[in-house]
Amino acid sequence: MASIDISAIRKSYGILPVLHGIDLEIRDGEFVVLVGPSGCGKSTLLRMIAGLEAVTSGEIRIDGKRVNDLAPKDRDIAMVFQSYALYPHMSVAKNMSYSLRLRKTPAEKIASVVAGAATKLGLDPLMERRPRALSGGQRQRVAMGRAIVREPKAFLFDEPLSNLDARLREQMRAEIKKLHQDLGATSIYVTHDQIEAMTLADRIVAMHGGIVQQVGSPLELYDNPANLFVAGFIGSPGMNFFEGRYMRSGETASFALTGGAVLPLPSTANLPDGSRATLGIRPEHVILGAEGPDAMLAKVDLVEPTGFGIIVHLTLGSVAFKAFTLDRRFLGMQGEVAVRLPVPNLHFFDEAGRKV
Amino acid sequence: MTSHAAREGGSRIDRPPLKKRLADASAPYLYTAPALILIVTVMLVPLVLGISYAFRDIQLLNPFSGGFIGLDHFKALSQDQNFYRALRNTLWWTGWSVLLQFVFGLILALLLDKPFHGRAIVQALVFLPWAVPSFLAGLNWAWLFNPVVGPLPHWMFALGLMSEPSNILSDPQLALWGPIIANVWWGIPFFAITLLAALQAIPRDLYEAASIDGAGPVQRFFSITLPFLAPTIAITVLLRTVWISNFADLIIVMTNGGPADRSQIVASYIFTQAFKRLDFGYASAIALVLLMLLITYSMLIVVLRQWLLSKD
Repeated sequence: MASIDISAIRKSYGILPVLHGIDLEIRDGEFVVLVGPSGCGKSTLLRMIAGLEAVTSGEIRIDGKRVNDLAPKDRDIAMVFQSYALYPHMSVAKNMSYSLRLRKTPAEKIASVVAGAATKLGLDPLMERRPRALSGGQRQRVAMGRAIVREPKAFLFDEPLSNLDARLREQMRAEIKKLHQDLGATSIYVTHDQIEAMTLADRIVAMHGGIVQQVGSPLELYDNPANLFVAGFIGSPGMNFFEGRYMRSGETASFALTGGAVLPLPSTANLPDGSRATLGIRPEHVILGAEGPDAMLAKVDLVEPTGFGIIVHLTLGSVAFKAFTLDRRFLGMQGEVAVRLPVPNLHFFDEAGRKV
Repeated sequence: MTSHAAREGGSRIDRPPLKKRLADASAPYLYTAPALILIVTVMLVPLVLGISYAFRDIQLLNPFSGGFIGLDHFKALSQDQNFYRALRNTLWWTGWSVLLQFVFGLILALLLDKPFHGRAIVQALVFLPWAVPSFLAGLNWAWLFNPVVGPLPHWMFALGLMSEPSNILSDPQLALWGPIIANVWWGIPFFAITLLAALQAIPRDLYEAASIDGAGPVQRFFSITLPFLAPTIAITVLLRTVWISNFADLIIVMTNGGPADRSQIVASYIFTQAFKRLDFGYASAIALVLLMLLITYSMLIVVLRQWLLSKD
């Protein structure tokens, strides 16, 4: 168990920069999820922590010790790969004990540690099998078993659930979380799936274009996104955005949507009068079938039942947006519906995309 | 289908006409006939003919030869000291050629597997010897070993490996090493190509997982590279062994089996008997013995492989 400090990390491939100065402090025992779209540099950052990629500049410290120039085997970390990377010519037991055998651990110790991990992961009946005789979920478990037998300083996960089907992914997600609660090991988990990030993380690191966009607890990122990227990336269905102009007159203000509609705002935001801005609202906060002076008529394009709730695709002016409701009355909705965008749930982003 | 219908109906009218039944029955044979005829004429006829020569007295310059003589050739062979020396030389020639080709081929493949600037060009150049005709390679190396035109004896003399710059091809003790060196040079690309292809099929993340698990370069080689290469190594070594033990071109060109038959292997001895002494019968008898030895060797390898697989 150890803390991991990352300071001013940069990475370039030739002249192509992929990480632009990352600073991150991971506390002992914390579960941190790096999340972002493909190509945002999250896997590169993880591989740099593992020692599989060279650091262009900056410093990585594990347990206070600089590891920039240490080989992966000397960093005392364990990694779970997306492809599992199990040794195909070794049995499950041999796969799990490989690292211990390399360290010349006594045979009795290996046997007891491997047996303990196998029981924890439910692998007992499979120990003599080869990886090709296992299902995807079982292989995933073996890969985790291989990581936990070593009791490393930190666990690194590189999209470990991406190759599993949806049901199994849900199950393994819960198992990983339970395992982390049992072991309390420092973990860094890379994923592009924001549901995995939300459910697993103590803290989420949202990345985009090689830059950290926001670091915080899952609900902080959900309720209070720092910028347009985080607002759009976290949450499913994603946040609705309306472009427009912020109008201010004395103590009251309004937001003129690009489509023509004007939304009165009782309080003022920290935006100059007449500036271009983006208004965001999560689909579940859009009120359908509203009455009152600030209700607007929106055209219903499509109704998607998900079983749990209903996603309604709407058009306001010329801007498409979505509403999410648990009320099944809206299942057969057609034509137009009155909607209201409640002010407390609105997010404003300035022209540069920063939250105000 | 047709017989079923006939049984149900019980009448002769349901039976298709004789011509149709004949055509149906012979169709598979007609379809396979061209391939079978080709295989029989191209492969089996020469084989049987060659084997039959071994039991007949066939000498090209003797018009009265050609009669059946039973096992006379094999009796003569069992007392032929030149044949026994050729047999020992074959083991020596095949063993060292395969071993050195494999070791250098593996080293080359491992080097070419690492990315470096200009790798594509180096790869193409490395595979060039394979494209050189064996006779040309033999001539080339014979000249390199020749102290009159070649530099090698002078270099070896300068390094103190030789007491005077002489031709190793004319030294009875060393003559076989000339063709072996030429053969190694010529055959390395085969191993390099096949092993490189096998190396590149190994998933990279296995090496990453192993290095995180704590394996150094040597441990990674033995616990990942070697197990992945093993099937390829087994099949290429088997192929090359059979191939090289039959491969007389370089010896014929470079030493012609000499001096005094000291560099004769079985394959070149067959060539000498058949085309120098024109005794086709005796040459066929030797060839038959070589064939039996190689079949035995291949069978042993196949059995060994089965045993290894079942042990797994």
